[in-house]
Amino acid sequence: MSVGTTSEQSAVTPSTSVSIAAGPLVGPVLRRVVGMLAARADLPLDRLDDAILVADLIAARAPAHVRGDDVRVGFEAGDRSLLFVVGPLRPGGGQALVVDAAVPGVGNVIEQLADDLSVQSDGADEYLHVRLAYAG
Amino acid sequence: MGLQATQPHAAVHLSLPAVPENVAVVRHVMLAFGDTLDLPRRVVEDVRLAVTEACTNVVRHAYDDDDGLMDIQIRPYPDRLDIEVADTGRGIGTSTDREGPGFGLPMMATLADTLEIDRTTESGSRVAMSFSRSAAPVKPT
Repeated sequence: MSVGTTSEQSAVTPSTSVSIAAGPLVGPVLRRVVGMLAARADLPLDRLDDAILVADLIAARAPAHVRGDDVRVGFEAGDRSLLFVVGPLRPGGGQALVVDAAVPGVGNVIEQLADDLSVQSDGADEYLHVRLAYAG
Repeated sequence: MGLQATQPHAAVHLSLPAVPENVAVVRHVMLAFGDTLDLPRRVVEDVRLAVTEACTNVVRHAYDDDDGLMDIQIRPYPDRLDIEVADTGRGIGTSTDREGPGFGLPMMATLADTLEIDRTTESGSRVAMSFSRSAAPVKPT
């Protein structure tokens, strides 16, 4: 599995962001924020559950790949969609985070749930972009 | 604002558009925080109410009709919880909005063990609150 990487940082500047010290707070805080934002983006319940599952995977796997001691996630809610921007990550961290989210017997969960998945790089840092949407 | 430079790194830092629906997001985060740190329920409810007041002040007064952000930083210590709510708007207390009972600041002062307010028209406002992590016994009436 390979996630497309572009060398330009995304023009998307998330209006909402949360930065959490790596540790036991990451999962509980991230899933609450994602649940609220996914509901507000009018995602149906099954996609809201998917968004929370992605949040749980990010919480579990991202601390190994972040730049520094914090897990930082930006969010942009669209029309029945929610974009996660995870980072800054260490070089190679975007791809590694997606690979780490693989579950035996299931496959790569983030890849399967995301409508769009990409790694943006600004040279020094990487940012994993995950977009979940509902096509209706 | 000089205190910010000496503050330790926040365990949780939220930056959200200052709109009413995001006050609910902050309240949910405080609940997750309390559950994870196993804080007494009374402490969690006091914190949630005080933070709701601080965030509501930002939403109502900081930016008028302009867009702006509210910034929440949470720092847990072994004996206390420090929380800052800040904005980059016109600063608390300069509103011409006279509606409402004006209970927000007194309520925050009552709920928190310490309350510090920085207000400048140049760089917005900052409300810093500190809460004991152990619930004080209820005084008999």
